[in-house]
Amino acid sequence: MRVVASLTALPLDDELTRRSMIDSPTSRLGGLIVGLRQRGWVEGVNFRFELRSTFGAPDRLKTAVQELLALKPDVILTGSTVETAAVLEATKTVPIVFATANDPVGNGFVESLAHPGGNVTGFTNSSAEMGGKWLQLIREAVPDLARVGVLFNPETAPRGGRFFLDSIEQEAAVSGVSVVPAPVNAPADIDEAIRRFSEPPKAAMIALVDSFLVIHRQAAVAAAAKYRVPTIYPFHYFMDAGGLMSYGPTLEVRSADYVDLILRGTKAGDLPVQSPRKYELLINRTVARTLDLTLPFTLLARADEIRE
Amino acid sequence: MNETIDQGDLRTPPGRLFRKYLYSIVALAFAALAINTGFDVWFSYREQKQLLAATQREQAASAAIQIGQFIGQIENQIRWLSRLPPELSTNEDQRLNAIRLLRLSPAIAEIAELDAQGREQVRVSRRVADRIGSKTDLSTSPAFRGANESRAYYGPVYFLGDTEPFMTLATRGTGLTPDVIVAEVNLRFIWDLVAGIRVGNTGKAYVVDRMGILIAHPDLWRALRRSDLSGHADVRAALDGVGPPSGGLVKEDLSGQRVLSTYATVPSLGWLVFVELPLTEAYAPIYASIGRSTFLLVILLACAVLVSLFLSRRMTVPIQILTQGARRIGSGDLGLRLAIKTGDELEALGDQFNRMAAHLRESYATLERKVIERTSELEKTRDQALAEHDAAERARSAAVAANETKSRFLAVVSHELRTPLNGVMGVLQLLDDGSLGEAQRRHLTTAAASGETLIALVEGILEYARLEASTETLETRDFRLDQLIETAADLMRPQAFGRGLTFDLACDATVNTSVHGDPVRLNRILLNLIGNAIKFTPRGEIGLSAAAERHDDHVLLRITVRDTGIGIAPDMHERIFEDFVQADDSIARRFGGTGLGLAIARRLTRLMRGELTVASTPGTGSSFMLKVSLGLAASGTAQGADQPPSRQLRVLLVDDDPVNCEVGEAMLKRLGHPTTIATNGASAVALARDQAFDIILMDLHMPDMDGVEAASRIRKLGLPTMPRIIAVTADMSPRARERLAGAGIARIVSKPILINALREAIEDDAQNQPAAPQLAAGALIDRHFLDDQKELLGAAQIAKLHNLLEETSEKLVEDIAKAAVTGDPAQLARYAHQLGSSASVLGLVRLFEFCREIELAAVTMSPPECQSAAREIAALRKASMSALDDLLRPAEQRSVN
Repeated sequence: MRVVASLTALPLDDELTRRSMIDSPTSRLGGLIVGLRQRGWVEGVNFRFELRSTFGAPDRLKTAVQELLALKPDVILTGSTVETAAVLEATKTVPIVFATANDPVGNGFVESLAHPGGNVTGFTNSSAEMGGKWLQLIREAVPDLARVGVLFNPETAPRGGRFFLDSIEQEAAVSGVSVVPAPVNAPADIDEAIRRFSEPPKAAMIALVDSFLVIHRQAAVAAAAKYRVPTIYPFHYFMDAGGLMSYGPTLEVRSADYVDLILRGTKAGDLPVQSPRKYELLINRTVARTLDLTLPFTLLARADEIRE
Repeated sequence: MNETIDQGDLRTPPGRLFRKYLYSIVALAFAALAINTGFDVWFSYREQKQLLAATQREQAASAAIQIGQFIGQIENQIRWLSRLPPELSTNEDQRLNAIRLLRLSPAIAEIAELDAQGREQVRVSRRVADRIGSKTDLSTSPAFRGANESRAYYGPVYFLGDTEPFMTLATRGTGLTPDVIVAEVNLRFIWDLVAGIRVGNTGKAYVVDRMGILIAHPDLWRALRRSDLSGHADVRAALDGVGPPSGGLVKEDLSGQRVLSTYATVPSLGWLVFVELPLTEAYAPIYASIGRSTFLLVILLACAVLVSLFLSRRMTVPIQILTQGARRIGSGDLGLRLAIKTGDELEALGDQFNRMAAHLRESYATLERKVIERTSELEKTRDQALAEHDAAERARSAAVAANETKSRFLAVVSHELRTPLNGVMGVLQLLDDGSLGEAQRRHLTTAAASGETLIALVEGILEYARLEASTETLETRDFRLDQLIETAADLMRPQAFGRGLTFDLACDATVNTSVHGDPVRLNRILLNLIGNAIKFTPRGEIGLSAAAERHDDHVLLRITVRDTGIGIAPDMHERIFEDFVQADDSIARRFGGTGLGLAIARRLTRLMRGELTVASTPGTGSSFMLKVSLGLAASGTAQGADQPPSRQLRVLLVDDDPVNCEVGEAMLKRLGHPTTIATNGASAVALARDQAFDIILMDLHMPDMDGVEAASRIRKLGLPTMPRIIAVTADMSPRARERLAGAGIARIVSKPILINALREAIEDDAQNQPAAPQLAAGALIDRHFLDDQKELLGAAQIAKLHNLLEETSEKLVEDIAKAAVTGDPAQLARYAHQLGSSASVLGLVRLFEFCREIELAAVTMSPPECQSAAREIAALRKASMSALDDLLRPAEQRSVN
């Protein structure tokens, strides 16, 4: 029986780690299980699925990785850059498929996207220039924007947040907006970090791609609502928590494809790292009205989903 | 032996024909079916392949059209954007339109709107912040230039972020200052299209750009790896513009699977859409078809085999029946009927067979009947022939008996005639006492001549009778051939001269030799021939020529007697040698004679194993040729009378005939032996008693007492030295010899006495004096046998046997005599047998043979014959026993001593 292991930072009771697609259609894990079954892999019959979580705690990362490797898995699925780096550090032989990585080449995970080499491959997320796009979109929602706060945890955000900050600052310079990084290192810091942008001059926030923020998305969204700070998020998960708007790649679940190929003998390093091809804009008009925002046609025209 | 081999050769191995037919029909059916199926499968295979390839080409074309439509749709969309009138839209409107387009078309990642000068007015992107009125100069960009040069620009495929295939698409608007819309299209969206193209169940389609780079593949990751397929032969060929093969191309795909591949080109883009179907699936229908055909072929073959079995059996069974029938007919079983019911030529053949067998059966029956008939006929004929043969045999026996009787009669008669004739002749000679007158003397001479003729006639008849009775045997000895011939010539010459003939004797030098033969008989032949010639030759000459050819072991004598006489007609040449035949009756009257001369000459010649032939012409003369083979003389030359006797012997000549006495005495005197003459038997006995003689020459026919009687009496005198008795007689028959032997006379001199014969008889005996008794006894006793017996049993045993035989034989002879008197032939035969077997023990062969003859003939003999035989047996027994005594006495005496 083959062993497919998965390492995530999310708590195991998180909606995103649910296996059932019926309970949670957006669940990445559910998509994997279903995709594998379509390719002839039935859990409990010819493969075993082992899920471990770090709960976002760096100190528990190493233990979880060791536990997983002790299972002698045929392939390890990792959630984000932090876990990928930890597993890669522990093994150079067990195939690794990462679910999201913003800069796998920059992080040194792969040699190139087309030909990764080594024992790792996976899927990229938003690219660096997406920072400018987020600023443009939040500016369209808040035309009188003077400053923009960038929320991230330097420990879990790619390159300590700088991966996106460059394009944000570039766009801000063109449009005359000042960029204020709002790094947070602990969940308790989120409230305070957002609160600071509730005061004039008119401010909005950009939540970066950050596993920390994904884990603590409820807190972030709640704080944004509480302090009436218009915020744009990188994933649609935040919309489910009551966020104003999100713009990011549609995470088409393809990891089942790669797990299947690896289980059948293809080397992980031969499989190219896949980039997202679709991006979706979600807007919650109710939240917008709460914030007294008037959404322009250009924004509404672009929106893939407008929630009331 | 031959029969078994033939059958072995002819026997056909069972089932050979059957197998031949079976294999032939099966092979034929198989060939037909296999060829049919083969062609069927081959054409079906080709058709299916063509069909498959055509289908695949259509699929490829369809896929190419879909991809073309995909791109064409995007092109149409941006063309729509580019053709919006400029005055209707501000930059903001343009952006909104672009955003709408992005919503409409997910593949478009970015849209840029350039003015006629190539300056960027609006740029809307999914990933970067939109830009409005940046005025960036893009007039030198290939997209702008390409859009201006033609209706639409399709840029090369490039990869964004290393993995994402993108393409730039640009169109130009209309009007005086047309805008150019440049769109970046994410080609990953073609994946959905390509993955959706169904090629069979497991086939796939993929897209390659103009450079051979893989753009879209159902396995997404393959496309993301920027796979360069231009190195693949088929892709290379397609890029070079070579059309796809009509039947499709079989190759290995990227995962190493064998596929049937074809492609189509996407119009305007120049991309290639490859459609590949795994062979396992592509050819599955073909294989299924082949499988069906093979199955059908097997089924049909099985049917063909069954049908062949049936047909072969139908064809071979009647032939086998015919073969067996032929074999049985060949082995003689003709009662067989073949039952072939095929309703065709074979049945007709079977019927013919049956008819043939029936004919053969009839023929055999006829043949057998004929054989039986012929056999019975043969048996009849055989019985008849046997009967005839018996009759002939009886007739012959009767004739032989008659002939013997005749001979005996002639012998007796002529002998009885001669004695008185001799008397007559003697008296005639006595009459001439010198006192006779001329007429008387003449009469006397005539009477004497007639008497002599009569004597000659009787002699001839006597001789012929002896020859006829085959009693004549040759008396051979050595003699001078020239002397014999000359003596005969001398003897006959006076007669010839007497008749006024010349006599010519021509003897070859080769006749001056001594030979061994019977000179008396030869002389007789010569005298006969010469006498004959003289008799039948009125005038002219008589010629005699003689020659002798010497050979290794014999001398061949040729004598020719020629005359100039009356001759003999050719038809008489053989007949004149027959008895009592002369050339014709008138000859007998003219020449007289008995007609026996030539017959006697020829018989004597034959006795000597010679030939006597004649060559004659009537009126001219005759030639008689004698050819006789004579033995070679033992040694030296018998000089006859010129040779003095080895020693003088005292001879008693006994003959009642004074002439004979005189002749005999003269001869003996000439031979140098002192002679005493006795003129009758009684005086002979008296003389023998009173004087000592070595030899007694005994005439057998004497008035008072015949020679045998006289000899017996002399024997009974018990003289100290018994003189040897030599009989003088004309009767040389075996019976006469036997009778003489019975009286102890072993030697015979024939009449007329020839001096040589006389000398031989006397001297032979004289020279072998001690052996004389043995020779005499030898005739009675088989000395060799007796010697063997002596050696085997010992002298004592022989002496005992001798005494025993003496007693038993005496007793048996008495019994035989009694049996003869009482007329009991059976008893006679039994005693004769006993005597014979007793006699044989000590080699008394003569007695033994005689007893056997009597034993065999006893039943047919008359009582007088029986008595005669008994007497003879007694005499023979006596002679034999005395001979045996002579032989054994010295030995007994020696053994006693």
